[in-house]
Amino acid sequence: MPNDRIDWRADIRSRVARARLHPQDEADIVEEVAQHLEAQFDDLAPRIGAGPARARLLAQLEGPELDDALARRRRRARPTRARTWSITSLARDVRYAVRSLRRSPGTVIAGTAALAIGIGLTAVMYSIIYGMLIKGLPYERSDRIALVYYADPAREDDQVPLADFLRFTQQQRTLSALGGYFLASANIAGGEQPERVGAVRVTSGTLEVTGVRAMLGRTFIPNDNTPAAPPTAILSYATWRDQFHSDSGVVGKNVRVDGKPYAIVGVMPDSFEFPRASTRLWLPIQTATDTLRPGQGPGLTVVGRLRDDIEYDRAQAEFATLSHQIAKDRAPGTAERRAVVEPFVRGLVPGRVYALFYTMLVAVMLVLLVACANVANLLLDRAVGRTREIGIRTALGATRLAVVRQSLVESGTLAALAAVVGTLIARLGIALFNGVMLKSQSYFWIDIRLHPQVLAFVLVMAVAASLVSGLLPALQSARLDVNTILKDESHAASSLRVGRLSRTIVAVEIALSSVMLLVAGFATKSIANLRRVEPGFASADVYTARVSLASRDPVRQQQFFEALDRELTAMPGAKGAYLGSGLPGTGWGGGRIAVEGRVYARPQDYPPARTLAVTPGFFSTFGVPVRQGRAINAGDVSESTPVAVVSESFVLQVFPTTDPIGHRIRLGGPRSEGEWLTIVGVVPTLFATTFAMRDVRPPEVFTAFWQQRNVTSASIAVRGPAEVAAAAPIRRIVTALDAETPTYATAPMTEVLAEPTQVLRVFGTMFVIFGIVSLVLAAVGVYAVMTFSVSRRVRELGIRMALGASGGDVVRMVCRQGAKQVVLGIALGFVAGAAVARMARAALFGVAPNDPVVFAVVGAVLGVSALVACIIPAVRATRVDPLVALRTD
Amino acid sequence: MLTDELKKGSAEFLILSLLEVESRHGYELQKLIESRSEGVLTFNVASLYPLLYRMEERGWIVGRWVEKSGERRKRFYRLTPAGLAALEAQRESWKAFVTAINRVSGVRYA
Repeated sequence: MPNDRIDWRADIRSRVARARLHPQDEADIVEEVAQHLEAQFDDLAPRIGAGPARARLLAQLEGPELDDALARRRRRARPTRARTWSITSLARDVRYAVRSLRRSPGTVIAGTAALAIGIGLTAVMYSIIYGMLIKGLPYERSDRIALVYYADPAREDDQVPLADFLRFTQQQRTLSALGGYFLASANIAGGEQPERVGAVRVTSGTLEVTGVRAMLGRTFIPNDNTPAAPPTAILSYATWRDQFHSDSGVVGKNVRVDGKPYAIVGVMPDSFEFPRASTRLWLPIQTATDTLRPGQGPGLTVVGRLRDDIEYDRAQAEFATLSHQIAKDRAPGTAERRAVVEPFVRGLVPGRVYALFYTMLVAVMLVLLVACANVANLLLDRAVGRTREIGIRTALGATRLAVVRQSLVESGTLAALAAVVGTLIARLGIALFNGVMLKSQSYFWIDIRLHPQVLAFVLVMAVAASLVSGLLPALQSARLDVNTILKDESHAASSLRVGRLSRTIVAVEIALSSVMLLVAGFATKSIANLRRVEPGFASADVYTARVSLASRDPVRQQQFFEALDRELTAMPGAKGAYLGSGLPGTGWGGGRIAVEGRVYARPQDYPPARTLAVTPGFFSTFGVPVRQGRAINAGDVSESTPVAVVSESFVLQVFPTTDPIGHRIRLGGPRSEGEWLTIVGVVPTLFATTFAMRDVRPPEVFTAFWQQRNVTSASIAVRGPAEVAAAAPIRRIVTALDAETPTYATAPMTEVLAEPTQVLRVFGTMFVIFGIVSLVLAAVGVYAVMTFSVSRRVRELGIRMALGASGGDVVRMVCRQGAKQVVLGIALGFVAGAAVARMARAALFGVAPNDPVVFAVVGAVLGVSALVACIIPAVRATRVDPLVALRTD
Repeated sequence: MLTDELKKGSAEFLILSLLEVESRHGYELQKLIESRSEGVLTFNVASLYPLLYRMEERGWIVGRWVEKSGERRKRFYRLTPAGLAALEAQRESWKAFVTAINRVSGVRYA
């Protein structure tokens, strides 16, 4: 009789499952009803036959009455759900997680390390973005400080002419304070030694925009801006402290600016440097405005503060209308311009910087995602190892939710640890970043620290990381079927499913790291290209400085520079001394030129060129050879024929087919009134940086320094041993010639050259760090998954080997399986990586975002790392004795 | 034949009475009711368990899995003190009801 007994359980379970009861209740009902039906069947079958008996009994299950019974059970299960989320049970889960994690320190260390690095890097990047782009200016309600500029797609000509600014001031109603400024520099005297300092020429509203009051005296009033008013000045805290020995009675005294006395009206508080870094002096704009028409006057950067009840779109609308009206009164020939009102930082920082930084944030988040994937795999591995435990817990009444939560608490515990370690990593990273960026010219408001907002971001990242890394394993555990687990000794069935999941994770991981590696590859190639750039001139043993004369007297200027050139050349040991309009590499002037006899239809048809006015010493100091004709020499003075020397790149572009020697060119575009310069020589093309680092070999024109007029400032370069080519001897000579002329911007030529590429190097290096970290994480991930999957298949591999498969066969088989995910991952990553590389174009130099070499190298590096990560566990598997393998489960 | 309403009302009373003496499992209860009512009252899985679970929910009876040596474990229901009180109350009202019916209808037992 027991042999032909029908198992009713399956039928009942499928009927009951719809109600989604607590598993324990479900099991109870199934068992109770099954026993009932069994007994009834035993009574019924002998009387009416087995078939009809079974049919009649099954019919009982169909009716809706059973739902009523199930509903009773559901209600009983409900109160336990509330308990799942109580604090005490959560505390119990945390205790349990800590206890169980303590038993596997490997998981904890690996998981925490991966997440901590991910969180740390993300926090560094976010703190940079926060400190630079989000936090804003260090003033009250700084989000309401606005920048007003004229729309210009290239952002090259976006300043507001003084006349337009005045109209804005009179007519606008949306800003409570409005000011305009332009940057300048000035020689100030009065202290120990003359100094060249950063100064700003401002209108009276400018400092009011910040809401900061003068520490001593007052800020500017409108009267200070009238041309007739006696010149006034406001000192920065540093100037007050260094030049005036913190004299509290300084207001009313004079400061000599560019040789003229200015009455000090105020001193600003410590660390106030609006509107640019290291401003040491504020001077009023004193331009006569009566005769100015719109579109005329010096170009200003305009700042304002929104009224309390006004939003940006209102101000924007008003200024657009005003600029339209102003355009009608503009001087003929000038185009209409549309004014834009934007938050200060947003308006001042170029869009590509935003793009670069947010790309980098996305990049580090990808690294974090890779770390999460690793942790997910670790937890998945543990979940499989604990399949039986979870099965028993479920059988004992744990809800699916409780199982999920337990898993999440575990990943959350790891993430919490990682957040702490990650914050420490971020501290280090921020200190490092601030250290390397200290020298580069940067925005004055930048304040990169672990701001509370950054810590909040870390917290969010940690929560997100614990969800991302914990949810997959958690859901996987919750899906497990209790009965299968408890019956199954080998976990074979469950681990198979988990294996598929973790292999998917690996493919995603590889894809993410190939994105990162691509970007890192591009960055590396950019840095290598930067290093490889041959400047075309010598920079070793060359020391540089700059001088600006206060005197506006042409004769005195001429005498000063001639004496300076003589003294510098005569320094014992000096191999060369140079005076010029700037330094090669970074100090080029630029504009358009015209060739005599050629006709240019439009202004943009005039060929562009970089220019430098040099003394004859240029060629010996920087070791520049002459390829054709002659160099600029001592005979090229103001009385003789004006001459120019051009670069090979210039010849290539402007005289591709003819000999340039003897031709005449003129600096400037269509409206130029400059003299015609006769080309006398050709030199190799020299390196020229631009901020965007696009064309570093532009057409170049060298003119004669001694043929210029009204020169007030010059760059100095001296080549020689360290005791000559240094700041002190140069300063001594300058001071001896004119005690009021400061020597400034002193630096070795190698540093001058490194400076413009500094930013590129720093960000490139960061991309490389991100790439290496994600490569290591991904390789570890592949290794872990392959080890895990091989260890689950020891018995299968043992059978294969027992049946005659060689070790090589097994290794090949395992690797083939690993290769699938790797290839898929790389393919996906390349598609995404190409897009990211295009976004990061601002950080690239001399490498196209689709450079095949980078793709090939990244593919190879990832492929080889992944292969090694596959081979190690595979080889280890072949070493297992088949007999041992067959006995394991 | 008893109407459904009457059956439903009386079924609880019957189960309580049957459990007063000893605890029983579900199928036993069904068979006892059927045999004692000589087939007038019948139950099946779909009608019995909603009843049992409702009574358990009310706290009148308690089901426990009991394992006897050599047998499979079965779920036995026993009466709780609340169930006993309910049984007494129902007996009282049943008696009152029967008396009232008798008076009205004039039916007399021999």
